[in-house]
Amino acid sequence: MQRNPDKFWNPYLAGVALGLVLFTSFLVMGSGLGASGASLRAGIAALEVFAPSHVASTPSLARAEASPHVTWLVFEIFGALLGGVVAAYTSGRLRGEVLKGPRIGNGARLALALAGGVLMGAAAKMTRGCTSGQALSGGALLSVGAWAFMFSVFGGGYALAWFLRREWR
Amino acid sequence: MTFPILPPFELGLVAAVLIGFGFGFVLERAGFGRANKLAAQFYGEDMTVFKVMFSAIVTAMLGVVLASALGLADFKALADHAVSGTYLVPMVAGGFLLGAGFIVSGYCPGTSFVAMASGKLDGLMTVLGVIVGQVLWAELEWRPGFATFHNAGDLGNFYLWELFHLSPRSGPYVVALAVTAMAVGCFVGAEKLERVLAGRSHPGAVPTPAGRPGRFVFAGLAVAAALGLVGLAAPTVAREGGRAPTGLAPLALARRVFDEPWKLRIVDLRPMEACSAKRIPGAECVPQDKLGTLGLADASPGRDLVLVGAAELPAMPEAAAAYPGRVYALEGGFAAWEAFALTPPAPPAPGAPASDLEAYRLRAGIQAAMTGMKAAPPPPVPAAAPGGPRKAGGGGCSG
Repeated sequence: MQRNPDKFWNPYLAGVALGLVLFTSFLVMGSGLGASGASLRAGIAALEVFAPSHVASTPSLARAEASPHVTWLVFEIFGALLGGVVAAYTSGRLRGEVLKGPRIGNGARLALALAGGVLMGAAAKMTRGCTSGQALSGGALLSVGAWAFMFSVFGGGYALAWFLRREWR
Repeated sequence: MTFPILPPFELGLVAAVLIGFGFGFVLERAGFGRANKLAAQFYGEDMTVFKVMFSAIVTAMLGVVLASALGLADFKALADHAVSGTYLVPMVAGGFLLGAGFIVSGYCPGTSFVAMASGKLDGLMTVLGVIVGQVLWAELEWRPGFATFHNAGDLGNFYLWELFHLSPRSGPYVVALAVTAMAVGCFVGAEKLERVLAGRSHPGAVPTPAGRPGRFVFAGLAVAAALGLVGLAAPTVAREGGRAPTGLAPLALARRVFDEPWKLRIVDLRPMEACSAKRIPGAECVPQDKLGTLGLADASPGRDLVLVGAAELPAMPEAAAAYPGRVYALEGGFAAWEAFALTPPAPPAPGAPASDLEAYRLRAGIQAAMTGMKAAPPPPVPAAAPGGPRKAGGGGCSG
């Protein structure tokens, strides 16, 4: 396999492949893919170190800590990290770097990445799932909430794109 | 319904790693580990995010539709299991917030993991940010003022075919066909848009056109959607025409009443007086002429419907045939149940084989439980008392 970091799969074939992974998850587990659940569990693990009693006394955290489905998501994301490493290595894209537009410094880009992450983390908790768990999995199963969420995500992105053009262009 | 498989917990975790591997691998290869490529979606020149996401949604959707048409899965039951309920207000507000976070960070929560795995430091920062954000909202969501917002617009499990007032049986298929048609239309539009914008686009943006493989995908999706619709017609005819309830022996029913009553919906079709006097635990008394008022056609197929007549049911009642889940009829009707579960069994003759003794114990136990008797019937007479003096001592910690 030749390694060309600028070569990606045909988007439609990649989409079909992703859809088949999602379909497999539906048939085997009766649930879709997810990502933010694993992040929540990571946060809970960190809290357990500093304030173990706090987790037990916060209903939303205690519920996520006890949920077998969230445990499943942690293992699924562990697999996704492995898959990401293998795919990046075999395509020549595995290297330490900061991705950004030409007009922004590394520090500012990293700060924005963190801030955007916080926004998405809070958002994904209030929507009961992120782009993977809600839009992709819920969208494929025709949930009204998932479709409303998906259009809102694109809406939010397009609404702010102009203000953030210095980060990317 | 054969799927979902729902493996035991530990085996499920193995499946999780394998499924996750595919998830991460495909995301990376689609270019989703690179913030520039993801962000380019919002500047109009590279529609990769849209193309990948919608072809994935359509593929998985058509997969479940075809599996349902073949009777291997049940679209709504699977969706109820896999999808969270719809909370319209936080989902729309959170959607805009997530979209904002997407363009600020350049990733979504899932793709940030893949970016981190491929060594991108900005991906790592986004992963950390998502963790903080998740905990932050988890801290707030249950507090009085926030909880109202967090649970606002609660519509339960609510699906597009319900929104458009389509029938629960054909709705998923019709909506799936419409979504497929819409997606393919949008794909063609996205290709056009990319070509139009290619002239004045940013030099860094590299759109990936459909090409021949893309056109094959369009055709494949269209064919699958059409097959789903054909499949819809076929099993419906089979189901409504010659659908007969599966027989369920009194013993099998008794076991299920004990082991998994939550998976049963027992409907007693005998006249009201007979049913109110004596019925199977958990049974609803619905005389046969009132069966239509239950709305079984629109009921959730999660529980198995068990029909109980006075005697063997001659044919499937029309209202029950429309039930989307499994339908059983108690073999021999309530008369058989009464003889089996409500009458004390005859003790087996002395010297009966072990299997008879076992069957007697089971029936006696069922009878005791179903009639609410305090004491079980007398134990069977032992075949031959072996007698003999009890061994003295025998160890233990008393000595």
